[in-house]
Amino acid sequence: MSILIDKNSRIAIQGITGREATMITRHSLDYGTRILAGVTPGKKGQHVHGVPVYNALREAVTEHGIDTSLVVVPPAFALDAVQEAIDNGIKLIVVTTENIPQHDTLKMLNMARKQGVKIIGPNTVGMITPKDRVKLGSIGGDRPERCFVPGHVGVISRSGGMTAETSWMVKRAGFGVSTSIGVGGDALIGTNIRDLLELFENDPETHVVVTFSEPGTAFEEEAAAFVQAGGFSKPLISYIAGRFTETMPEGTVFGHAGAFIAGNTGRPSEKAKKLREAGAYVVDQYDELMGVLQSVLTMKGAK
Amino acid sequence: MGKILEHHSKQIIRQAGVPVPDFHAADSVEQAVQAFLRIGKPVVQKALVPAGKRGKAGAIKFSETSRDVQRHAAELLSMTVRHFPVKKILVEEKLEIAKELYVSITIDKNRQMPVIIASAEGGIEVEDLVAEQPDKVVMEHVDPLLGLPAYKGKEIWSRLGLDNELLLQASDILQKLYATFVRCDCYLLEINPLVITKQGSLVAAASVMAVDDAAMFRQKDLIGLVEVGSERSWRPLTALEKQMVAVNDADYRGTARYTEMDGGEIGFMCGGGGGSLLSYDALVDLGVTPANYTETGGNPSEEKVYGLTKGILSKPGVKGLFVAHNITNNTQIDVMARGIVRALKDLQINPRTFPVVVREAGVHDEIGKQIFTEAGIEYYGEDKTICEAAAKMVERMKVV
Repeated sequence: MSILIDKNSRIAIQGITGREATMITRHSLDYGTRILAGVTPGKKGQHVHGVPVYNALREAVTEHGIDTSLVVVPPAFALDAVQEAIDNGIKLIVVTTENIPQHDTLKMLNMARKQGVKIIGPNTVGMITPKDRVKLGSIGGDRPERCFVPGHVGVISRSGGMTAETSWMVKRAGFGVSTSIGVGGDALIGTNIRDLLELFENDPETHVVVTFSEPGTAFEEEAAAFVQAGGFSKPLISYIAGRFTETMPEGTVFGHAGAFIAGNTGRPSEKAKKLREAGAYVVDQYDELMGVLQSVLTMKGAK
Repeated sequence: MGKILEHHSKQIIRQAGVPVPDFHAADSVEQAVQAFLRIGKPVVQKALVPAGKRGKAGAIKFSETSRDVQRHAAELLSMTVRHFPVKKILVEEKLEIAKELYVSITIDKNRQMPVIIASAEGGIEVEDLVAEQPDKVVMEHVDPLLGLPAYKGKEIWSRLGLDNELLLQASDILQKLYATFVRCDCYLLEINPLVITKQGSLVAAASVMAVDDAAMFRQKDLIGLVEVGSERSWRPLTALEKQMVAVNDADYRGTARYTEMDGGEIGFMCGGGGGSLLSYDALVDLGVTPANYTETGGNPSEEKVYGLTKGILSKPGVKGLFVAHNITNNTQIDVMARGIVRALKDLQINPRTFPVVVREAGVHDEIGKQIFTEAGIEYYGEDKTICEAAAKMVERMKVV
């Protein structure tokens, strides 16, 4: 098992004829992911690496029973694409687009919430379930196996690149991942760490979760509260990058737009404290992750 | 994220129908005096800088006479407020204040909705008010899909004790502010204070507006008014940082962000939003301070990598270069290698004597490895972690 996506996912790509989307389509097909359809208005009848293109998502849903959509469109069209997906009954929407105006993001997130739709992102590298060779987004590039091998570790990352690096660390430690997911680099995202912990809790194939975090937002604080309340009972190993930013003047943004410290909220030290209090293993050095993972999984294996 | 200076934001809300004091912007003492004469009443002069808490910084002055105006304008124009040199001042009519209110609209990132914050205690920092007297603050979230219903404004101001004509006026102003907040893609619109004058009318005495620069493609009217990127930094950009902005803007492919740090001997050329943070922490943990922070990625062109590397190496005192990245999804390592090696050659830097340690793995890393290695650079790929490579860098620096 895995979370959110598996071999039964019926996937379409909105904006499939774009440069980035064409590349994602190629890599996903090569990996073994079934992409059933694509949408680009005005380009019905074309094919992208053999995937049929439609004018509207509605046509793709009728023809292929699409239930999962990957949105790869420019910022100005992202809100409309997400609304189109929601209106057509899609239940999982992965939004890769970076730099969407915040007012548009607010609208799409509120629409999704009202309709019970899950949005991953925006500004996400996507997610991957290696056991089923299903990936959504640019995650893994042309060689997903380099970092992502099947296993029982769930990976959640606030950085796209570090989703790969962290999964590679899991592999280096001798294990593999159930599902690896980049939540998106922005402060306004559809599915946060807490939400994903809830899903991983219910996935019997996931034995432990590793998170990569950054300064800013309340995602770690919320995750800690969720663990504290008993919502997540598996081992949680967390690393929070950007400790150096705490000594910088307030108002500075390093890295992603989400990595913004204002006052005390968002400080890596506060996040680490809250997670530790909730019982998570917080590693100060990123490389310690491997050793902690080994001891945690060995303990579990011995049980 | 970009702030808009007050004379621009006042103009925008005035056009939306919100009453503001008579105001003029001035960039010299003479202009300030002329503005004073045109207003024909005592004035307030404020430094026009993209920084808050100007009152505490002494950057707001009240002037009754022409001589006062001259003296205060000269003072303000020679000030630096929170690292920003004052180049322009706002000269505006001094209001006769009966009472000060507070109102702002911002985005609540946790609830993922716009939120209105209002209080009958204006003129002070809202953070202090929320902390000390939370009962005097009203917070009201707005459904971004439905907008602000007219009754909400009346609810809010009535709770704060307004009545009669003032209640209607304040509600009308709030409607117009909310409409501006949405229309201009703001993430902050604050009126502090919203003044009730002795004459019994409401006037927005001070405004702060910040606009989402991701929305600039549809905010053509605001181009030139927004200090784009001004929210990413705590001080004005340095000369080197400005050069690096030009390097980044010259090509749409990939990103190259550069922040100059005080001191430091290691040039920092790292990539991935998270990967850069991790690499910087790794060096700091080993007891060294990088000379800069950088974030590159998103498959930059060779020219961008070249320009950024050259910039990093041009800072005085830099004695080594650390290049690291998370394993890339799309950034091409061979392109990175070509840009970096070319910059080193151009600056006649010999990597055998000037330590350069690279940890780059991902797309096309076989070719990248070859380019780095042939240039005499200490290269690591998947054989080392970022932290291990950082340790190698620090080791190399010991013999410099």
